[in-house]
Amino acid sequence: MTAEQLRAPAEAKYAEELDWLESVDDGPKPFSWRLSPRMVRLFVLGSQRSDGLDRQIDQKWFGDTSLVERAIVTLASDRGLLLIGDPGTGKSWLAELLAAAISRDSTLVVQGTAGTTEDHIKYSWNVSMVIAKGQSRESMIPSPIMTAMERGVIGRFEELTRSTSDVQDALISILSEKYVSIPELDSDNVVFARPGFSIIATANSRDRGVNDLSSALKRRFNFVRIPVVTNKRSEADIVRFRTAELLRRHQIELDVPPTLLDILLQSFADLRGAAASATSDDEKLESALSTAEQIGVLEDAILHSQFFGERVLRAGTLAGSLVGSLARRSPEDLAILNKYLHTVVEPRGKSDGGLWPDFLEGGRQAIAALS
Amino acid sequence: MSPVVNVVNEPAVNAVNAVNGAVNAGDARLADPRAAAVEGHNSFGQLRGRLVDAAAAFAADSATLAEILAGLVDDVAWALDERLEIFPVCHHSPASALAMARRLREKRPKVIYLELCEDLRPLLGELRNCSLPVALQAFAHELTGFPAGSGPLSVIAPITEASAEYQAIAYALETPGVELVLVDWSADHLFQWENRRRPAAGPSTDDGAGPAPADAADPERDGDQPALHGDAVGVEIGDLRPRFAELEEFLLRHGRVRHWSEWWDQYVEQPLAGADHDTYRQAMALVGSLFRRLRPSDDDGRHARDEARERHMWTRIREHLASSGVDPADCLHVCGAFHAVSRVPEFGAPAPAADAASTAVDPVPAPEPALPAASAAVQPAAPGPPAPGAAEAGHEIPPVTGTRWLYGLIPSSHSAIEAQFGLAGGSVSIAAATWAKAVARTGVAPFRLSGQRGAAKGARPAKSRAATRSGAGPVGGTSRPAEGAERLSGFLESPPALDGIDEDELLGWSVDIVRLARRNGYLASTADAIAVFESSILLAGMRNRARPTPYDFQDAAVTCIEKDVVPGRRDVRRLCEILLGGDRVGQVGYDALPPLARDVHDRLAPLGLDLSKRTVQRALLDLTANPELAPCSHLLWMLRYLLPDGAVRPILGVRRLGERSPQESWDLAIGRHQRVLIELGYEAVTVEQALEQRLRRAAWAPDATAAGALAAVEDAVTFLDSRRLADELGARAVELLTSERTVDDAPEVLRRIRRLLDHYRVSEPTLPAWCEQFVTRGYAHYCTLLPIAFAAEDTTVRQVASMLGFLLTLENLALALGCDRAQLELAVRQSHPEEPARTALLWAAQTRLGQLSMAELRARCDGLLANPLVIPAFPRYLAGFVQALEPVPTLAPFVVEVISKAFARLPDHVLLPWLPTLIRTLRDHAAEHVPTLVREAGRTFPAGLADLDAWTAPWSAPAAPPGQAATGPGGAWAAARPVVAGPLTDLLVGHPATTDALAALLDLETEWPSSTGAGRADQADPVAGSDNVAGPDSEATALLDRFPTTAAAVAALIGR
Repeated sequence: MTAEQLRAPAEAKYAEELDWLESVDDGPKPFSWRLSPRMVRLFVLGSQRSDGLDRQIDQKWFGDTSLVERAIVTLASDRGLLLIGDPGTGKSWLAELLAAAISRDSTLVVQGTAGTTEDHIKYSWNVSMVIAKGQSRESMIPSPIMTAMERGVIGRFEELTRSTSDVQDALISILSEKYVSIPELDSDNVVFARPGFSIIATANSRDRGVNDLSSALKRRFNFVRIPVVTNKRSEADIVRFRTAELLRRHQIELDVPPTLLDILLQSFADLRGAAASATSDDEKLESALSTAEQIGVLEDAILHSQFFGERVLRAGTLAGSLVGSLARRSPEDLAILNKYLHTVVEPRGKSDGGLWPDFLEGGRQAIAALS
Repeated sequence: MSPVVNVVNEPAVNAVNAVNGAVNAGDARLADPRAAAVEGHNSFGQLRGRLVDAAAAFAADSATLAEILAGLVDDVAWALDERLEIFPVCHHSPASALAMARRLREKRPKVIYLELCEDLRPLLGELRNCSLPVALQAFAHELTGFPAGSGPLSVIAPITEASAEYQAIAYALETPGVELVLVDWSADHLFQWENRRRPAAGPSTDDGAGPAPADAADPERDGDQPALHGDAVGVEIGDLRPRFAELEEFLLRHGRVRHWSEWWDQYVEQPLAGADHDTYRQAMALVGSLFRRLRPSDDDGRHARDEARERHMWTRIREHLASSGVDPADCLHVCGAFHAVSRVPEFGAPAPAADAASTAVDPVPAPEPALPAASAAVQPAAPGPPAPGAAEAGHEIPPVTGTRWLYGLIPSSHSAIEAQFGLAGGSVSIAAATWAKAVARTGVAPFRLSGQRGAAKGARPAKSRAATRSGAGPVGGTSRPAEGAERLSGFLESPPALDGIDEDELLGWSVDIVRLARRNGYLASTADAIAVFESSILLAGMRNRARPTPYDFQDAAVTCIEKDVVPGRRDVRRLCEILLGGDRVGQVGYDALPPLARDVHDRLAPLGLDLSKRTVQRALLDLTANPELAPCSHLLWMLRYLLPDGAVRPILGVRRLGERSPQESWDLAIGRHQRVLIELGYEAVTVEQALEQRLRRAAWAPDATAAGALAAVEDAVTFLDSRRLADELGARAVELLTSERTVDDAPEVLRRIRRLLDHYRVSEPTLPAWCEQFVTRGYAHYCTLLPIAFAAEDTTVRQVASMLGFLLTLENLALALGCDRAQLELAVRQSHPEEPARTALLWAAQTRLGQLSMAELRARCDGLLANPLVIPAFPRYLAGFVQALEPVPTLAPFVVEVISKAFARLPDHVLLPWLPTLIRTLRDHAAEHVPTLVREAGRTFPAGLADLDAWTAPWSAPAAPPGQAATGPGGAWAAARPVVAGPLTDLLVGHPATTDALAALLDLETEWPSSTGAGRADQADPVAGSDNVAGPDSEATALLDRFPTTAAAVAALIGR
């Protein structure tokens, strides 16, 4: 990662690791893939001792192994890959890792929004050049997807279901015929996809029904559903991994005590349980309580401790951060958090002790400040 | 994670690393051809040495790992060295079944000792009448020696065709001269242990039993098959699974598989499918030893239980050997691989005297006594066991309790087995398919019980192909070494010789899954079939498999076909399971059914339906045209009572007290609910007996109530038509009623006793004695409780109303039977409710008893309506009056009046919020109150709109002249009921003697009106006017005028 980059793409961040994997990879590689499918899996899921590698490859995405395998296999086949899941389940991160491992370029991304047009998927024109020189390949601005086609690499389409149906359907011909024609040009007017081209799209399962995919497009994608992480251990791994990354990025030297991490995980588990048993929206927090939000809470607490605290992460700070991040509606969310602190945290503090009393106190202060 | 497991992790992981690595790809050192060259003779010493060296070379804590690895080899050698051949198996393992079939054909043992509950032996012969899978069941509901309330106890042992135990059973039962001895704990011993270990908790469900872990819990499984075993404790031969989660997780992660079934299939099942006997035995013993040694120290007593079972088994074996005198070399002990390497003192057949010396110098090194402290959680084998046969069997088998165990076969299914034993969904089905395929491929002729029903298709040996397939031969070459030679090195060194890709099979699956998906509403096309085929191969390649397994195929199908999750639609994973064999549901044949179930089949035979079918069948019974079907109908109603919903379901027709339908239509699914019918057979010999027992049990249960006992009486009359039983249950109801201290069930009691009294009045010349007792005791009982019930807050108005209903509507009968009305009058006078609804109820009761006149009641209600302070509470008074319709039905006109006044006078802010309550109350009692109120309203209000203008409400009409109402010493009641004219009055006035005598008996004074015609019905109070009053202008008078014969005859009779 260069100093000028706030966040380097995966292929830059793990360039050295990818180079090494490529050098030792003797497995069969589909199309123009830079790594064989097994190495792609190793890169994403990390290595085990039994893999017999000379160096350790860290796990970068935490979840079911078979999901990753299915995703890789899909990319090696004729179909596009659609990752579906709730917000904060790591779809985009997995897509980025796969694109980085397979084609060393994860930046060919189209972001789906309500304002995405067909031009964003195919190509557009440099108007000045068109006026000056007329329409030509030179004055054409290829979209990231078209670039991926030309280079035979992986293109990404984030939040596919946020874009309108007619825009989505522009992908049908790209995924079927694997070419894009440019009718404005008289010659050289077809861009053919080179072997190795495929698309990884992501879709938010909470957006289902907004712009549902047509059957024709569904047929051209294999769907891989990414579940919410409920396994406490996996969640701890994810939070630890992402937090370490953030600390590195912010160049902060701060320890996150394991007990505090446990407190964070436990409090989210408690609040999720409360949300699951709530009978109305008023009884549950507006937040989805995803793993990404846990990371957000921890990051907030770390930054607060670093810049306004004693450079030591304390339970009180974590509680303040939790309240600050999760209390979005007043008084509903505040009331729920207040109830949680006094009916769950307080008895636990009395029975278990540890850092829970500090956590309770921090939470109380934060709620008092917000009330 | 517990600290213990933390400790266990490292050495365990090291050990597993070594073993797993070797199994997976071949440890570099083990694969060394020079090392392999020195192998080959009948000794495990070399392998042991190499493993110890490997531990020293690769592990940080080499001593621990070396001990574990050496211990594994020692265990294998220990098991193999036993004179009595031990055959280790795993449950539902086709490889085990194949190896068993081969071994049985080769060795032809004379005695087979099988790890199965010893008391299930008599059932085994019945297996041939069943379609597998079925389960052997031991069941007890009358417990002796177990804590009260812990029953019923149930143990099941499912048997599938693709299992080694079935092969052993079939061989033993079909081969003359072969004895099959079951040696495991009896069901009684099993629960004794559970009871000792966890006296407060329910029976343990481990050893492959009990609630399924997460990977098996599948709410979307079809139908009720997963519940076929009920809540029985399951026992299986060869439960083989890592005993702590970390080890299993480790194996799964390194094996690149999702669940345990898949790991087993890939790393043990497939490599051993074509293995020779020695390799199979040694490899299985090795796996058993691995899981035995790597277990947490805190395993909830499982290891202690396993050892207790092993001691029991070996004690039984020794007893049998001693009594039969059979040579151990002619015997075979079939047990789970975990038990094969047991080190209990009783292990092994007693050594003959000549061999004793040689066993003392057994070359097998004695197992290590203990591991270093750091790995204390990894249990070594039992310390210091004696050489095989040298130990004196010191194990004393505890006697069984006095519990009466009942035995039978119940149907089972693949999904039920998976659900109970925590296997992944579809794994047993896949095992069955693998078995069929392996039999066809290898040419092994499996054993089958003669006459076995429902043979699995495809499980036929293909002898012609068998010899030509390399996979059918022993692993490691065609030349066969000496029996007992060390084969583990070869097994561990070489990767499993798996079959190559079977393109036709995969293609068939891919096409079929698309077809199946389309039938289930998925948008799947040929393109998807191609994608599934391609993805399966790619996935298998990524997972180091030459050939896609069913699990790879399943993953590929989910990836390519499943785009949406639609609730209620089968998911693609489930479709794959169906495709690969589907759930198979066994059936118990007629001859293996208990007498009750056979009796049911026999008695329903006139219906002409095949009741063994698992589909729902419709039975139409026209009892008028075919009276011979009446017994069938009767039986079906009893079954309806005894079996759960869905087994027999009436579509048309009812059977209630005194009510029968001439035509009935039934949905019968007895074949699908065979288990419950069989379990019913444990209760009694006939359905009638079972029903009687159930009714008795309900009436004598510790929490039985009078209402429940009355329900039992009703059922006894309805279904059994048994006066004897009904009397017995009725007497119990009397007993229960008088001992009840609450009136919670008063509404139910009143409803049921009324119905029973009505029934007996029309069907019997006299009431049964218990009925009379019930009424008299009930009268006294409710009189006693009435003042308390009026005041108690936790008693509802409905309950108080029902008490009053009992007291007032059954009063005549009670008084006739000797009760004293003064008791009721006193009870009412003692009642002082505060709550408005109860107060209204009390007023109604007082009115009925003559303690309050209608005029006073009306004045009170008008006073309430006129008082602005109590108006908000008026609706609650009204609620009380509505409830009072039950005890005082004659109050209906007054209730209509009060409701009308309330609607007229109550302000909207009081009336409107109350309306929903009124509607709810009326809906709750729609059957009793609404018809009365509607009828009364119809009489009170004008029928047409035109009459409305001229209509005046009766209560608003000017009062009748005071002289028309009787105000004699009859009291307020008499005052409230003006005497009306008519033939009845004339009759009574003309012949007053009877009435006078009755009044004297009741200690009342009589006063007769001076003349008839004192009042007219059309001027009378509507309350009084509603009862039996027929004025001269009424229709009755007209009728009598037109047909005077009867009246004249009556007049002549009474001498008028």
